Amino acid sequence: MSQPFRIAGHGRVDHAQPVRFTFDGRTVEGRRGDTVASALLANGIHLMGRSFKYHRPRGVVSAGSEEPNALIGTSRGPGRFEPNTRATMQEVRQGLTAESQNKWPSLSFDVGAINDRLGRFIPAGFYYKTFKWPRSFWDKVYEPFIRQAAGLGKSPTEADPDHYASRHLHCDVLIVGGGPAGLAAALAAGQSGAETVLVDEQAEIGGTLLSEPGVRIEGQGAWDWLAAALAELRTMPNVRLMSRTTAIGYYHQNMVGLCERLTDHLDVLPEGAPRERLWRVRAGQVVLAQGAIEKPLVFDGNDRPGVMLAGAAQTFLHRFGVKVGNRVAVVTSHDSAWHGAFDLAHAGVKVAAIVDVRAEVPRVLTARAEALGIEVLTGHTVTGTTGRLRVATVRVNPVQGGRVGAGRTIACDALLMCGGWTPSLHLFSHTKGSLAWDAEAGAFLPDRKTEECEIAGAGRGLWGVAAALEDGARAGAAAAKAPGRVAGVGTFAVEGDRTGSGVVAKELPTDRDAGLAKAFIDFQNDVTAKDIRLAVREGMRSIEHVKRYTTNGMATDQGKLSNINGLMIAADALGKEAPAVGLTTFRPPYTPTTFGALANLRKGRHFEVTRRTAIDAWAEATGAVFEPVSLWRRAWYFPQAGEDMHKAVARECRAVRTAVGMFDASTLGKIEVMGPDAATFLERMYTNPWAKLQPGRCRYGLLLGEDGFIRDDGVIGRLAADKFHVTTTTGGAARVLNMMEDYLQTEWPDLDVWLTSTTEQWAVVALQGPNARKLLEPLVEGLDLSDDAFPHMAVVECTVAGFPARLFRVSFTGELGFEVNVPARHGRALWEALWQAGQAHGVVPYGTETMHVLRAEKGFIIVGQDTDGTVTPQDAGLGWAIGKAKTDFVGKRSLARPDIVAKGRKQLVGLLTEDPAVVLEEGAQIVADPNQPIPMTMIGHVTSSYWSEALGRSIAMALVEGGRDRMGEVLHIPMPGRTLRAKVTVPNFVDPDGQKLKV
Amino acid sequence: MLLIHCPYCDETLPEPEFAYAGEAHIARPADPMALSDEEWRDFLFIRSNPRGNHFERWRHVNGCGRFFNAVRDTVSDKFAMTYRAGEPRPNLDALKEAAE
Amino acid sequence: MTAQIHSFPRSTAVAVTVLPLEARFSLRLRAASREAAEAALGLPLPDRIGRTSEQGGRRALCLGPDEWRLDVPAAEAAAVAGALEGGIPHALVEVTDREVTFLIEGPGSLDLLAIGIARDVRRLEVGRGARTVFDGVQAVLVREGEERFTLAVWRSYASHVEELLRQGAREIALGL
Repeated sequence: MSQPFRIAGHGRVDHAQPVRFTFDGRTVEGRRGDTVASALLANGIHLMGRSFKYHRPRGVVSAGSEEPNALIGTSRGPGRFEPNTRATMQEVRQGLTAESQNKWPSLSFDVGAINDRLGRFIPAGFYYKTFKWPRSFWDKVYEPFIRQAAGLGKSPTEADPDHYASRHLHCDVLIVGGGPAGLAAALAAGQSGAETVLVDEQAEIGGTLLSEPGVRIEGQGAWDWLAAALAELRTMPNVRLMSRTTAIGYYHQNMVGLCERLTDHLDVLPEGAPRERLWRVRAGQVVLAQGAIEKPLVFDGNDRPGVMLAGAAQTFLHRFGVKVGNRVAVVTSHDSAWHGAFDLAHAGVKVAAIVDVRAEVPRVLTARAEALGIEVLTGHTVTGTTGRLRVATVRVNPVQGGRVGAGRTIACDALLMCGGWTPSLHLFSHTKGSLAWDAEAGAFLPDRKTEECEIAGAGRGLWGVAAALEDGARAGAAAAKAPGRVAGVGTFAVEGDRTGSGVVAKELPTDRDAGLAKAFIDFQNDVTAKDIRLAVREGMRSIEHVKRYTTNGMATDQGKLSNINGLMIAADALGKEAPAVGLTTFRPPYTPTTFGALANLRKGRHFEVTRRTAIDAWAEATGAVFEPVSLWRRAWYFPQAGEDMHKAVARECRAVRTAVGMFDASTLGKIEVMGPDAATFLERMYTNPWAKLQPGRCRYGLLLGEDGFIRDDGVIGRLAADKFHVTTTTGGAARVLNMMEDYLQTEWPDLDVWLTSTTEQWAVVALQGPNARKLLEPLVEGLDLSDDAFPHMAVVECTVAGFPARLFRVSFTGELGFEVNVPARHGRALWEALWQAGQAHGVVPYGTETMHVLRAEKGFIIVGQDTDGTVTPQDAGLGWAIGKAKTDFVGKRSLARPDIVAKGRKQLVGLLTEDPAVVLEEGAQIVADPNQPIPMTMIGHVTSSYWSEALGRSIAMALVEGGRDRMGEVLHIPMPGRTLRAKVTVPNFVDPDGQKLKV
Repeated sequence: MLLIHCPYCDETLPEPEFAYAGEAHIARPADPMALSDEEWRDFLFIRSNPRGNHFERWRHVNGCGRFFNAVRDTVSDKFAMTYRAGEPRPNLDALKEAAE
Repeated sequence: MTAQIHSFPRSTAVAVTVLPLEARFSLRLRAASREAAEAALGLPLPDRIGRTSEQGGRRALCLGPDEWRLDVPAAEAAAVAGALEGGIPHALVEVTDREVTFLIEGPGSLDLLAIGIARDVRRLEVGRGARTVFDGVQAVLVREGEERFTLAVWRSYASHVEELLRQGAREIALGL
């Protein structure tokens, strides 16, 4: 391929290395070092996309990450599609597949462009005004329309096969931006010995210097000086240089988030390589050397492909060896575009004219232009462009005394514009650092700082390489300042520097009807100057309202090009000064960032921690179905061949009630409470009495919050006078330990007692069922397990299956039950020993679902299911668990509060449906009178509901207002299509007298 | 991610090691049963919620495990100081002078 | 129990192995009881958080103002468990099975730890330790040497942490 717009031997790309990729199916050849944008321009392709709202043809505007138009989809195979990639940032690689967006059927002929013709009918606020009524139109008409129109690009449909990395980094000085200011800062900080990190979002560090090869620094060409500076920095062990790395957010206390792109530029993906890495950097000092972003000028037709920023053309020329056109025109309000025009002319591009809105332009510039044969049109405006898919002419008019004279057209194939420069202070704004309008610079500059940071170079309105170098060195030295560190401030001799100034313009004056002009401010969201004026006319006064009404600056570029132009026009419409109107807020991320980078390690199976017990692998091998319980995964049920969940659970329930079941209870929270004051401490924490509990005995413990509501429960065993084995719910383990530590450390620091989490020290197997003792007895050494010797709620330290164990006789099923605790490493071996021994006794493994059914048959609560943080012991029917003689415990005072003792509180009751086959839905609402008008008065809800295999019918528990006074009453549960009836009963359905425990 | 100085470890460490634990200097009454309903309500629920310096508790839960107190500006999120549990409420004016 | 060697990439950069279980205790007592406990245990108990001490194959790491982690040979577990009985108010709880301890060694060890630890591990001196967080999981980190660390996490978190360490080690080996 010919690359007609490439200048042989020019630029920093490798001309010996062609790189082929496709754009909309067409093979394009670029050079190693190109971006997609520069490679397309080298081939004369300016049309790169369609705009979001009007589907107008668009070309590249900038050469950097601020690009609003040239957004492409990139792909390297299934799942590796990314929409909205800026063509100016994506480096070419062999085989890259790139496609344009927002077009159908093709980029050059797009049906959606009808919106452009209809543009006058869809002004700012169109959606707010139009999609209001009738209400019935929302689902069928408006929402589909808005969804169709909204969004940029397509979302990928396949899972992302890439993985992403995470890294924390600590340094003394973090420098953001590798232009002259950042480099000088890095040299100063690095030479001082400070640990210094320099990051730059481009593939190559150098910033402006890459586009200013004519400047001479310290007697060297800019590129030679750059190479020497980078070489020097690379020799410093305390300096880290990071390219392709964007500082995306600046957070509290100098934490800066970086996104490093590791592989998107590589032809071949290294096996196992992460695509991107998110860095969380904590820096002692931050130097923001992010430079400035060139502003477009606002005039009719300023969005036509081929109309671009003058600085971008200069970058394409010098960095990539690409001329953006053969015959260019320039329109500017700032000196800098003149230099760009001169460089293009030197490279052999015909510069048709330089149009400057200023009447007075430095003579040195006009003289140089004239010497180069460029027509100079100072005191002129641009009033329009033509060209269907690429600019063909520009219309220019003289302006005198505020009056726009007759226009004439100038033929061109590229129009370069420059409306001045906006200091890039997005990261500074993330810190809530304030900005102040500087009339001389015509820009907002950093004012009050909230973080330990320095802003250097163009970021604080200093123009030119010399100023940037000098200010960067100052900032680097200041940032590196620390005891024992000496940082010198370097000076730099610079020749051929291009300083300059300009004026800040609003939309350019025109001799045509401004109401018909398509003078774009926000290219990405298709916001025009007249949209802003309309917003002000319609009553928007705050810039925040103007922004939201027009969507100016709300696209993925966050208004990097549009904010100041929008502000100047809004200020003009409001008749106020710019600083009085104010700026909208920039928020992280600085540029669009992949979800992959933000999630980094937390992807797929690591999205969240999955905790597994020592017995988990056995359950998995046995075909258990798992459910998540807090961070744990627990065996839910153990289906056999042909069984669904209902059948498996029914079989498991039958086995426990008639033979014996085994259950992995390892996830229960366990806390060793030890010390001379252990009993005193538990007396104060739990509602129950503990002082008189004998060693070797257990008790159900109920824990309240200070507000009197149930927080947790569990069996607590006393192993010795000064040692308790406390169990908590699975989900409550960490919370309970934290709450206990809180009271112990801050309310009762005088108590000699300490808490140690032993949740994970012990693997726990529950044996439940009439055959439990028969199964266990042969495996326990030297211990009488009879009911007399080891009754219900006993605990002992012994040996089970040869392992040291804590053996509890407890039941969460109503059956004869034991819980065997062994050190976790033996959990699997214990389980298998019990499994073997149990074969003779009809043992089955059961999961959490069966556990839930069996406990519900007994009316045992699950904290968090049958309680919801507003349930007292009395509400839950657990008044018996309160030590009546106790003068105090956590929550006791609240149990006497007026609203806690009031009548009509919701109380836990049993429900039996009239139709025994109907299993109520948990969470279903309950009413007393089904015939009352809607909205009905709801008196409670179902908390637990199951099929009870033991009873051959459904059972449920519910929280119902005044529930215990409603025994026998029929209540109603309205469901879609029908209303169910259920009778209130005592929540204890199986063996209500507890005979089965006394065996 | 804030940096927090643990007064027990005497180190300034990243926020993930810590957990917020509510307003500081609210002691549990010695005899709750002696309190009126209104007094008990105030103890349970009424908090100062200032705009500006807030006396609050943190726990170095993924560190030394200790609860401690802090003065933090609720507008800027910045910590003015941290101190051990049980120590008296610091004098903010003195703190301000020391900073100047 | 033998050491379980896992299939981490054995690059020159960083290696991760699981240490065999010996015996580990959590010891809690007040400062006033420290000297008596030291005598009974035959082991100095450092009084600054993060410091370690070693004597006769026993080791203590101070994790809090009243908290030490004791690592002792498995054969001495019973002796240590009973060492403080009578007199000294304390809690001594065996937690050997609670934890899985990874050994991370090699020039890439600091980078590998930095995938999940927010604190500046470089500032942890050799011979010191700290309880901290690795990718949301509480962990106790000890710097055994310049490029040699142990990282102990609770047992149920071990597979999650191990998989992340393996992924990180692979990334570091690639040198990207």
